[in-house]
Amino acid sequence: MPEASTAAATVTATAADIATCDREPIRTPGSIQPHGFLLALTAQLDVVQVSDNLGQFTGIEPRQALGRPLIDIIGSRSAEALTPGLRGGQLRERPAHIATVSLGGEAFDVLAHAYDALLVLEFEPAHASHAADVQRLYPLVGDFLNKIGDADTIVELSQLAASEIRALTGFGRVLVYSFDEEGHGNVLAECRADDYDSYLGQRFPASDIPRQARELYLLNRIRLIQDANYTPARLVPPENPLSGKANDLSFAALRSVSPVHLEYMRNMGTMASMSVSLIVDGKLWGLISCHDAEPRPVSFLQRTVCEQLGQILALRIKNRADADELQFRLEVRRVMVGLLGGLTQGADFIENLRSVLPELLRFARAGGVAIVVDDRLITFGYTPGEEQVRALVDWLSTNVHDDLFHSAHLSARYGPAAEFTDCASGLLAMPISRIHQHYLLWFRPEHVYSINWAGRPDSKQLSSTGQLNPRTSFDIWRQTIHGASTPWHEGELELALEFRTALLGIALERAEQMADLAEELGRANKELEAFSYSVSHDLRAPLRHIVGFSDLLMETAGGDNAERRHRFLVNIKESARLAGKLVDDLLSFSQMGRAALRPVRVRMEDLVRSCIDKLAPDLPDRRIDWRIETLPEIVADPSFLQLALYNLLSNAVKFTSERDTAIIRISSEQLAGETVFHIADNGVGFNMEYAHKLFGVFQRLHRMEDFQGTGIGLANVRRIVERHGGRVWARSVPGEGATFSFAIPNPVDIA
Amino acid sequence: MLKPILLVEDNPNDLELTLIALERSQLANEVIVVRDGAEALDYLHARGTYARREQGNPAVVLLDLKLPKVDGLEVLAEIRSGAALKSIPVVMLTSSREEQDLIRSYELGVNAYVVKPVDFQEFVRAIADLGIFWAVLNEPPPGSHRYIKPQ
Repeated sequence: MPEASTAAATVTATAADIATCDREPIRTPGSIQPHGFLLALTAQLDVVQVSDNLGQFTGIEPRQALGRPLIDIIGSRSAEALTPGLRGGQLRERPAHIATVSLGGEAFDVLAHAYDALLVLEFEPAHASHAADVQRLYPLVGDFLNKIGDADTIVELSQLAASEIRALTGFGRVLVYSFDEEGHGNVLAECRADDYDSYLGQRFPASDIPRQARELYLLNRIRLIQDANYTPARLVPPENPLSGKANDLSFAALRSVSPVHLEYMRNMGTMASMSVSLIVDGKLWGLISCHDAEPRPVSFLQRTVCEQLGQILALRIKNRADADELQFRLEVRRVMVGLLGGLTQGADFIENLRSVLPELLRFARAGGVAIVVDDRLITFGYTPGEEQVRALVDWLSTNVHDDLFHSAHLSARYGPAAEFTDCASGLLAMPISRIHQHYLLWFRPEHVYSINWAGRPDSKQLSSTGQLNPRTSFDIWRQTIHGASTPWHEGELELALEFRTALLGIALERAEQMADLAEELGRANKELEAFSYSVSHDLRAPLRHIVGFSDLLMETAGGDNAERRHRFLVNIKESARLAGKLVDDLLSFSQMGRAALRPVRVRMEDLVRSCIDKLAPDLPDRRIDWRIETLPEIVADPSFLQLALYNLLSNAVKFTSERDTAIIRISSEQLAGETVFHIADNGVGFNMEYAHKLFGVFQRLHRMEDFQGTGIGLANVRRIVERHGGRVWARSVPGEGATFSFAIPNPVDIA
Repeated sequence: MLKPILLVEDNPNDLELTLIALERSQLANEVIVVRDGAEALDYLHARGTYARREQGNPAVVLLDLKLPKVDGLEVLAEIRSGAALKSIPVVMLTSSREEQDLIRSYELGVNAYVVKPVDFQEFVRAIADLGIFWAVLNEPPPGSHRYIKPQ
């Protein structure tokens, strides 16, 4: 099974693939690539394990090397050069280059790392390096850093990296590819010699790289196979003598790869390969993958520079991706803010949604949108038919319980969607009510596209021995994808959720407004009932009296009881006057409920004074001691409030008519959030038992002939105060006086 | 000899017209006038200013629906709720045929519900009929005290 940089060829991994790949002992192959050799030492620098090609490089047979000090194997000069790097526990699990030593006249780079209590030394011939001098390599890195600063897109960045690595290593073809959400690799950039096939734009299936290989790529960021025709050099003894287990060679630069992978490379015509991991946010974002038709040694120094280039590229990709993501989200959010602004304009929530349909489309980059609210269905743009949308919503409401549903391949989740893949291959849907089955749906049309798989999916098969055989053909295999839309972007999904929260907030506010309205309507209705009730009772009475006394008057026309006739005439006149006043009062009462309030800052003292002036002409014979305290300013509708005050003051005047000197006191007090006014008199008062009836329409607590009035005055007062958001009440001790109070809310400071 | 008629009426015009009508019906019963619901209950319970009135329930209560303080329906409810008063015939006299009032009155056990006619002659006839029926023709509930009119 291929495990390194080159691409394998299955479109869909079979269960056999995965099982086989996961059994592949890639970390513990028990052997190394033979262009170098390995020595495993104890902390005392005694050799306990070697690769079986040791004799080729040192003339010492593997078995003879075991148990001997390092100095016996490589000579005192080389051992002395290495010793400082090996002492003191400074080695880590990633290999470090500790020295270049000479063995038998040949130079070797020595990499050392510590693992499983062993010190692992890897010797690679240094002469094989391709232009491996520092003077040449570091200017290349500097140049790369300069150029990469100017590149705008991830593809441009990748292209630069591919060219640079090819120049650095001499590989015939360098690819940069990224993994998509499913793990497929897409070739973004390529730099190759003319005689190499192009893989640009092709896709390698996710199954190419098994899970354990991906994990290894995260740990060890660069891998090299310098000759696919190699015969592995086995470790002697085959297991770690300290632990008795197979050596974990995860970090060894010379680690041998699977024979299946080598066969695959040969099939592909690739004799050397190298891959560099691109790690973004701790995840394997992609790979830089290098191929060559000939064996190609790459020195440790070159590999280190390539690894650094890979890291620089990954950093730039992260920056670029972050910036792109930020830009994208900013744009979506800008559309959303506009949308929400539009949604709070009018009174009808659904009509508001209707007014922002084009923005709704833009918000989700959709082709069509549907709003389902009870029986109402509003569609806009390119959408399925009404019945299809309703059926879809039914399905959603029973099968999806998340705040957001999205699919870029709806028919795979919901079979009937196959009927309308043209307009709705993609769906983003969210319930917009916590109680009702209300939905907002976005549709994306089908986006037919082709995938150029790097090889036919059926070319990799299990052989009769149960081992995987790699494919032999690397021709492009083209697959056309139907029934899918462009994918939903993660930022879009997050903002859609945010939008939903805002929508629910608006809907909730609307619901509260509706409840307020219903309450208001209920009250208006009750008042209307009281009104019509009063009209039928109270307006009929004076009419009946007029008729009655007129009849009596006619009967007594010839009689001599002049005094009686005069009384009948007075009764008739009074009844007529009362009827007229009733009509006036009823009209003013009903008007009170309808006219709009125009609140402004009002000086209460001015209002009280003008009411008293208005009352004065009717009171020539009365002695009234008005005691007006200092009153604050409030915010209220002055004409309405004056009417309320006038009613209260005229009541106070009326019910003190039997006093020699009426005392009427107007005072105020500040309570939390409201200003309270009191109008206290020393009149007849009323029995507190009937206080609850005081403010009802046509409620009277006194006989008609004792105190004139239609019974509307206090109902008006209550109505006016309540429309200001305030309240009214009254207290009294019969015979001693009454105090009527009302509270008006203080204006809320808008900070 | 006859039990009185209790007239509960707040409006002075209605009161005058009703008294004229009762006078014309030539009933021998005394007419006791109270001016609101609270006073009516004081009379019926023989309390307050009526603590020392003659014993016995009236032959009929002519009750206006809209009254200050305690309205007609409340008076009716109170009459029906106590053992001493509950058998007194009560006639509701009102200005209008509001359905809610009708329903409520019958629920509370009113004996008759009469809308005052606008035409005075009809009004006189209606009051006379009521007086004759309830005060003369109607047999009062057993056990009620005979009222002796003071001479």
